[in-house]
Amino acid sequence: MPYSFPLGPYHPALEEPFKVKVQCRGEVIESATVEVGFSYRGIELLAQKRNWVEVITLIERVCGICSNTHAMTFCMAAETIAGIELPKRAAHIRTIIAELERLHSHLLWAGVGAEDIGFHSLFMEVFTLRERVMDTLEAISGNRVNYGMNCIGGVLRDIPDPAAHLPALDALAKGLGEIVIPTFTQNPTALARTRGVGRLSREQAVEWAVVGPVARASGLDIDVRKDQPYLSYADLGFESVVRPEGDVQARVVVRALEMMESVRLIREALLSLPPGPLRATQGLPEIPAGEATIRTEAPRGEAFYYVASEGGASPARVKIRTPSFVNIPAIEPMVMGQTLADLSIIQASVDPCISCTDR
Amino acid sequence: MTADTMTADIESTERAFPRLTEALRAIPGVRSVAARNGALWADAPLLDVEAMAAAMAALGIRLGTVTAIPHPDSAESTVIYHYIDEHRIINVKTCTRNGALASLAPSVRAASWAEREIRDLFAVEFPGHPNPVPLIRPEGIDTATLREAMCRPATVARKPSSPLASPPASPPAPPPARS
Repeated sequence: MPYSFPLGPYHPALEEPFKVKVQCRGEVIESATVEVGFSYRGIELLAQKRNWVEVITLIERVCGICSNTHAMTFCMAAETIAGIELPKRAAHIRTIIAELERLHSHLLWAGVGAEDIGFHSLFMEVFTLRERVMDTLEAISGNRVNYGMNCIGGVLRDIPDPAAHLPALDALAKGLGEIVIPTFTQNPTALARTRGVGRLSREQAVEWAVVGPVARASGLDIDVRKDQPYLSYADLGFESVVRPEGDVQARVVVRALEMMESVRLIREALLSLPPGPLRATQGLPEIPAGEATIRTEAPRGEAFYYVASEGGASPARVKIRTPSFVNIPAIEPMVMGQTLADLSIIQASVDPCISCTDR
Repeated sequence: MTADTMTADIESTERAFPRLTEALRAIPGVRSVAARNGALWADAPLLDVEAMAAAMAALGIRLGTVTAIPHPDSAESTVIYHYIDEHRIINVKTCTRNGALASLAPSVRAASWAEREIRDLFAVEFPGHPNPVPLIRPEGIDTATLREAMCRPATVARKPSSPLASPPASPPAPPPARS
């Protein structure tokens, strides 16, 4: 006897409100429909009603986790329209914050994923490491989230003593290499719940146009940091992590190995921080008429911004396409034929951000 | 960007990606193709959107998203299809006709949510969409949620204003003395 089961919009397995409605026969899922829009805020409209400086503060609140990505991408779009060249030191500092944010996001996800498969001790280990990242972000920016680092033309705060943050990176690399990565890749409990579960083939990844770790775990070698380098990624060098399996385990491994690459990028950026100014412009920015499209690699994948200016005090249009907006629909093919008990970890493996999706 | 550098940019784009520029020009309705601000922009007011989808699929370029910009003085909207070939963004700009454009969703999955969102917010219709149900609009609320508000001109100060920036005109009244 087939029956339907609604996961969400409010459910202990979900961090934020969205709904996966599944049709099951016995324990097996036959079809799924994803519904979003439960926390829509109209940020794209509000961005047209504020001036260029206030919009940065607003846009930073698109997401609580990848807040820096949004503010940074918006600033990059405004800089492109105005033809402002970012100083080298500012580019390095933006790279450091972006990679710290990726670490914080991936560790948050790894903790939530561990909790979803009932692995509480791993959750504790992961969140202990995440605190080191949060402490480093707080030491640099003064904030644990919504760092307020970006302004049009540069960054607002310097990193006066880069070497002070290296011990935290050593501790992170040790914790990731000795505990988090081996547990997720070798522990029988973690393997039993993730290997072969929630597969998305390479063809399906192309068809659903997924981005970020979800695409890379299905064998698609796409990463904006490599394909269209921005900030300091071309100087620092970047290796993308790709796995062909396409299951939850592959998504775990891609994120875990990416964290090691992020630690390396942050270390190199700190050690090679160039001297120079933090901002290319002083005072309030003048953004001439024009339009620009910018994409950056957020922790969950490619973030896309379209920004138009008519030369006025506020943007004429800000379009935000977050990575979750294209990754969340792909939950539908992932859960097909899987057991109901795995629905929770499969949807979590996409690292869905509803705040981003709804905006 | 000066006119000279822009022309040079277009020429270098054509030299580097002759196939891409040529394929864009061959799409019915495309009037011009130019490189601007690090991306390719195709202007096509009377674009054949289905032909564009087929041409992009043949080139193996994925649809990133779709942007709609409502026109304040009519029911039409500018619609921009943002394609991504991993190394650059290709923007194809068109305009709705009678408030509608053919849906790409039957052949391009990534268009499905983008079109549903645009329909919810700006009442642009996409005939042929396989599942035209609301995406972010609550049940019972009409389409065009943001259309009117987005068309209204913004009245903002160029300088950020903060309630902490200037002191209040008069000091707050002292609390009444207790008897």
